[in-house]
Amino acid sequence: MLLKIENLQAQIDEKQILKGLNLEINAGEVHAIMGPNGAGKSTLASVLAGKDSYEVTDGLVNFDDHDLLDLSPEERARKGLFLAFQYPVEIPGVSNKLFMQTAVNAVREEQGLPALDMFDFDEYAKDKIALLDMHPDLLERSVNVGFSGGEKKRNDIFQMALLQPKLCILDETDSGLDIDALRLVANGINSLRSAERSFIVVTHYQRLLDYIKPDFVHVLYDGKIIKSGGFELAHELEANGYDEIIKQHQQA
Amino acid sequence: MSNKRTRKISPMATAAVEHYVGLSNSLNTSEVSSGVFAARQHAQSLLLQLAFPTQRDEQWQYTKLVQFVQNRFELPNLNAQKTTLSKDELEQFTPPYERIQLIFVDGVLNCDLSDDLSSLPNGLRIQSMRDELQNSTSVASWFSEDALVFSEPFGVLNTALFTDGFVLNVAENSAIELPVWVLHVQTQDNQISTLTNRVQLARNAELTLVQQFVSLSEVQACTNVVTSIEVANSARMRQVVLQQQAEASFYFHNQFVSQASNSDFNTFYAGMGSVLSRHQNHLSMDGEHIENSQNSACLARQKQVVDSRTHTLHNQEWGASRQLHKYVLADSAVGVFDGMIRVDRQAQKTDGQMDNKNLLLSNTAKMNSKPQLEIYADDVKCSHGSATGQINPDQIFYLQARGIPRSQAIEMITKAFLMEPVETINRSEVKNWVGKQLSNALLTGGYFSGGDK
Repeated sequence: MLLKIENLQAQIDEKQILKGLNLEINAGEVHAIMGPNGAGKSTLASVLAGKDSYEVTDGLVNFDDHDLLDLSPEERARKGLFLAFQYPVEIPGVSNKLFMQTAVNAVREEQGLPALDMFDFDEYAKDKIALLDMHPDLLERSVNVGFSGGEKKRNDIFQMALLQPKLCILDETDSGLDIDALRLVANGINSLRSAERSFIVVTHYQRLLDYIKPDFVHVLYDGKIIKSGGFELAHELEANGYDEIIKQHQQA
Repeated sequence: MSNKRTRKISPMATAAVEHYVGLSNSLNTSEVSSGVFAARQHAQSLLLQLAFPTQRDEQWQYTKLVQFVQNRFELPNLNAQKTTLSKDELEQFTPPYERIQLIFVDGVLNCDLSDDLSSLPNGLRIQSMRDELQNSTSVASWFSEDALVFSEPFGVLNTALFTDGFVLNVAENSAIELPVWVLHVQTQDNQISTLTNRVQLARNAELTLVQQFVSLSEVQACTNVVTSIEVANSARMRQVVLQQQAEASFYFHNQFVSQASNSDFNTFYAGMGSVLSRHQNHLSMDGEHIENSQNSACLARQKQVVDSRTHTLHNQEWGASRQLHKYVLADSAVGVFDGMIRVDRQAQKTDGQMDNKNLLLSNTAKMNSKPQLEIYADDVKCSHGSATGQINPDQIFYLQARGIPRSQAIEMITKAFLMEPVETINRSEVKNWVGKQLSNALLTGGYFSGGDK
């Protein structure tokens, strides 16, 4: 098992958001997490990545035989966990190239591989850029500065392609994308699917899932997973909304 | 200094003034030309009358001179003709590009280490100020009683005590290919080096000037410089000033720049050293279609005070001025920025921009910023802004989430912040060198250890 979450509880500013969440993910599986606003979807993504504004108050998370909650954000990344941000951050003056070369070499160091020099890195990055149909000057530009919303999301997927993580967590990567950008992002994700790599796709809508076709769909509500199923659950949610499932959950 | 009221001067300041007036008198021997003699006397009378500014003076509110006033800096030994700096010691400061070099040791030009001034490229003339004072009759005209130098307290002290400096002329239509590098090395404790420099670019001339201020060891010394720069019609001047003196030293530099029509002046200041440093540009745009750019990158930690000021006068039509000043402050350091763009009634179509951005690496560092506009023309485009903050934690987390350790993430973001104004340096070899000096100071200077080294 790649990821096992047991009874995860977390709060921010004394407000309890995750209230005992359980989830198991095997290598190669794609899981979608859906749910209404405020259910805790982005909190789950941030807690897994190690954002320190969230406080974990209870629970266990095992990732690839590591106690995930015991690791710093950079250690989690080095061990193969990747978060594609809902709002990728702008970093003026730091070039994408310096950023990603540093990141790739940090991961390679963890894996006992030699660092890539500037030329090796350029070569390595070239076809990943083509994959996402990004402008070739991407590497020279400051990280996300002056990027459109779609470019920022594609830049995150580009980083994912470079870092080759074991677990990819996509936090509402589809929000704010037009149909062409959505297709490019979905293609990027699909091209990275493999028997070893797993995905958690956090989303509001079915449209990204139509391209990705997840193996499992979970409904997150009030800090817990209240229903799980196959891809057909996403269709059901799109047709009927969350109300019916929430009502069933509250009655149970 | 229009203040005619009698100032209350503390006993400490009185003692300091008497000390420096005494030093000034010892320089006013019978060998001095009458013009310089009179200028020094005038400076002495101003010193006695006004002493040194205190916190009650608005321009010195955040730049406290208490520590300076407590010292009694002595004059350098002007007769030490022999080099007190070996070629090996010089090596560590030498830039890795071809240049014309002038080396000053403790305020006096060292001829052994400097290039031969009699065989400079065509169109370039450089003299030491000491020689110029003996040979030139024009010197007296620099020090009329209304000269700008007397409007600044350290300009006054400069005139009272100056012993050397350089006079540099670039002839009409001459573009000097190599940068002129002027290094000032403090080697002696408790000395004051006082330098007066004159730079004149004739019509359509071009020059790159690099002035660097360093200390050989952890001395406590003072450097007080006045640099006057005249940029004639269509001339182009690029200047870089690097201040890297020992952490107990003092640095005062007043630059008086006047530009004529169609000229271009680009100056960059990097402030890294000294316990107290103050770098001031007084820039007067005295013609049409003038361009200039004044930028700085300043770093301070522990109890350093780093002060940088610009005073930009748009006096004629179609002038464009650009400014970007960045500070990184750690520990209990204090940063001071004061910038004024003044647009005269005649200066229509002025385009002036001034930006100051500051990054605080601790909760105890402090930035005092005062960008100002004074506009008397109606068809102008001017902007000014200032922003001070700490690193956004979202930026740090974003880098961490890609595997970059937190400490390295903070260093990358801080360095990128500081380097932005360096991009305005035109010549790539100089730009790369300055960038390296700044990044070394930042990454090895104890900025990220959160304490005393």
